[in-house]
Amino acid sequence: MVRKPGNLSRLLRTLGIVVMAAVLVIPAVAFAADTPRRPNIVIILGDDLGFADMSAFGSEIKTPHLDSLAKDGVRFTNFYTNASCSPTRSVLLSGVDMHQNGLGNMDEFTAPNQWGVDGYEGVLNDRVATLPQLLKDAGYHTYMVGKWHLGKKPEQIPAARGFERDFSLLDGAGSYWDMTNFTAAAPKSVFTEDGKYLTRLPDDYYATKTYTDKLISFIEAGRADGKPFFAYVSHQAPHDPLHLPQDWRNRHVGEYDKGWDAVRQERLQRQIELGIMPAGTKLAERMWFIPDPIVLAPATRAILGKKMELYAGMVENLDFHVGRLIDYLKKTGQYDNTIFLVFGDNGAEGTDLFKMIAGTPGTRDFLFAAINWSQTHPNAWGDPGNYVGYGPMWAQVSMTPFSQYKGWVSEGGIHNALIVSGPGVTRPKGSINSGIMHVADIMPTLLEIAGASYPKTYQGRELPALYGKSWGPVLAGKAESPRTEQDYLAWELFGNRAVRQGEWKLRWLYKPLGKGEWELFNLAADPAERKDLAAERPDKVKALIALWDDYVKTNGVILPSRSPFETLDDQLPKRVPDDPGYPPLIYKKQFVPPRDMVADPKP
Amino acid sequence: MKNKVSPMNLVVWLRLVVATMLAIGVLCPPEALAQTPARFYWKTLSDANAVPVIVQSFSGNTNPFDSAHTVTPGASFDATMALAGYARTFSLFDRAAMGAIIVPMGRISGEVTVAGRTFNKSANGFGDPMLEFNINILGPPAQKNIPDVMRYEPGFSLDLLVDLALPIGEYDSDQPLNIGQNRWYGRLGMPIIWQLGPWVPGRRTTLEFLPAVWFFGDNDDYVGQKMKTDPMYQLDAHLTRDLTEHFWGSLDATWYYGGKATINGVSGEKRNDFGVGLTLGYQVTDNLNLTFGYKSTLNDNAPGDLQMDVFTVSLVYGWHPLVEGMRRLKGGE
Repeated sequence: MVRKPGNLSRLLRTLGIVVMAAVLVIPAVAFAADTPRRPNIVIILGDDLGFADMSAFGSEIKTPHLDSLAKDGVRFTNFYTNASCSPTRSVLLSGVDMHQNGLGNMDEFTAPNQWGVDGYEGVLNDRVATLPQLLKDAGYHTYMVGKWHLGKKPEQIPAARGFERDFSLLDGAGSYWDMTNFTAAAPKSVFTEDGKYLTRLPDDYYATKTYTDKLISFIEAGRADGKPFFAYVSHQAPHDPLHLPQDWRNRHVGEYDKGWDAVRQERLQRQIELGIMPAGTKLAERMWFIPDPIVLAPATRAILGKKMELYAGMVENLDFHVGRLIDYLKKTGQYDNTIFLVFGDNGAEGTDLFKMIAGTPGTRDFLFAAINWSQTHPNAWGDPGNYVGYGPMWAQVSMTPFSQYKGWVSEGGIHNALIVSGPGVTRPKGSINSGIMHVADIMPTLLEIAGASYPKTYQGRELPALYGKSWGPVLAGKAESPRTEQDYLAWELFGNRAVRQGEWKLRWLYKPLGKGEWELFNLAADPAERKDLAAERPDKVKALIALWDDYVKTNGVILPSRSPFETLDDQLPKRVPDDPGYPPLIYKKQFVPPRDMVADPKP
Repeated sequence: MKNKVSPMNLVVWLRLVVATMLAIGVLCPPEALAQTPARFYWKTLSDANAVPVIVQSFSGNTNPFDSAHTVTPGASFDATMALAGYARTFSLFDRAAMGAIIVPMGRISGEVTVAGRTFNKSANGFGDPMLEFNINILGPPAQKNIPDVMRYEPGFSLDLLVDLALPIGEYDSDQPLNIGQNRWYGRLGMPIIWQLGPWVPGRRTTLEFLPAVWFFGDNDDYVGQKMKTDPMYQLDAHLTRDLTEHFWGSLDATWYYGGKATINGVSGEKRNDFGVGLTLGYQVTDNLNLTFGYKSTLNDNAPGDLQMDVFTVSLVYGWHPLVEGMRRLKGGE
């Protein structure tokens, strides 16, 4: 029998297809085969969740499910993010410093001198590879639910940046109940699901619940092939507006009437008892424009306390839905092979965002707010159409014992709680570590856990260097910190800047929260940044400024020509020291004379 | 960026407290002695005060000053009536309570047939003052301070109500038609408020009931005769809804059963009457509340049926020393 040339050609083509198919299939088979050795990864990100908001970090807010992760894993007490959300998220997903990855400034506040400059695109730029892209290439399923805030164009959305499945809010915030956003220019929040822009939200939508429902459905749908998954659970909660279902609003009625000072003191006491903070830690000063709650009327404390009641409810609701995810993973036998990372994306929110957004009477956005966000009655707090935040006094509580809050590079803006649990964590369960960690470390850490590595190039582009360091040795108990005493971390946002090396921190903040000049703190002795040592230690200031200069040069930092804080000094009351008990006038109590010296007037 | 603390906008809370005071019925005495309007038993801050002035225009076959609504078949009355009173809220055993006195006054005229004789009569003057005591027995605790006001939501509330009329109103035993009733009478009731949905001004909705029983003493000198009246059962129902933060409306229904009157051993018909109505309320100022209502009986064509329609306009002025003081301080800024 003589084969015809055409038959041979077909045979070869067939063989070629088979070989190619085998080449494509084998890695997947191989990954599937080693699934037990490669853990699933779940990152639970709380938006504006404060350092002290979980029970495991000293809060009175009940977070049993998050605490269970802490009990199974390790709590880290020296974990740093950036001072606001999109810069932190960009670093989390790229491993590259924010000034290189496109979020050199928040998109909403990019300064004129930063416009058009690489690293300041306001979106996660295409010069970086993302964690989901690299994990997907390594054989992981990649899922995302929740807030994205890293770009809205088709090439910028989660589906384009490595997530196989997603249900995402592309905006930085919005209603938890519907698609209502904050301004007349951008009245609707933008959502995507699996790469498609949504025209409406699912029935019975509530952000935290729906995100959890979607994620569980993604994991369940992808479970059959045995591949591990990476899930980025980017919760909107507890970012304001403090929207939450009715039955979660009244779980702490009256508990916060005692005021922010008392709650901060109680949290600090628990932190010391838990070992989160060392004995002797002092609270940061109450910000000078916040009154001492004990001089306020009961009604004032009640109305302000109600804001914190709602916030606590939001955190507990968040914890409840995290519990649903944990339960699902346990029931499906996936929990033991899942590594969890839990943290907040920046300090708690102390700025009145709604006032910024809604503008003043007569403006376009004020009119929009009058129509869409005017349910201001306290009994409407939590409902659609209501925007309430909890204010700087409670933000300081969330950031106990630290100074200030989100947007600032004081510890209260960048120092957050971190829980890591699951495979690869061989430190004693429930232990606490004080190594200096950074959100940029997560990329190399998770690539290492996934058995992947950070490539030099991606899709033909040379990648910038990673900013962080793997936590592998720390999680394995072989090191106490990923950083040496010589390593440093630095931050810049809105013109505020800081650098930390070892126990020393140098910071420059706009007045009046800062001095408009460098301040020096020893964080080991003074984690609350109460005592400026710049005048006493000029040598240390000089050394840290040199590190700052290195950071600027290495990462292309451009200090903004405009800042949301540039006029703050004219808006806030003149800064005065926080001296407890001053002025004595308002603290003096009724004099009660000795009983034996009391008499009626003589006739 | 504004970091300034706005600890509490006192004006907002001042308005909230006063609005609550005015919105609640405890400061809005009944448009007729036997009937209470919607939102009558809402609760407010303890130690609040109110003076109501309520003007009503009646037409029908019963004397509106008579809580028993004794029907006089074939009679026709027109009456203009005013009620003035004073109410004060207080806390008793940590429960919300209220005491009030309401004095009816006005004039009535019409044709009355008694024992086969027809009279064209009229009467005027002060009626029988009524004392009222109400205490909540199931529901939120008393609102003893502004934080309590802030957190108040009725949910499902049940009260105990006691009314007692004092027979000191103007009465002429020679006349079949009087403003005073010349007898003791009173009521036991259990006002119910059932909150439907959120308790947010502008969105509040309630379903309210007042089951009650009226007891009447004998009038030993009713045109020289003795009049006995059986107990009468009453059920008021209201579906109320905020239309805006300061404007609300309600659909009202009333049912009476019993109350058979016997004059010198001759019994009349017992009541079994049903009426419906509408009430609109508006908060004019922080202290002043205005309501307008209309109510009319249904299926009232038979001779013994109660026939009555009522227009009601009420003005209620409410105040609380704490709130007034806060207002003065605020005004002095």
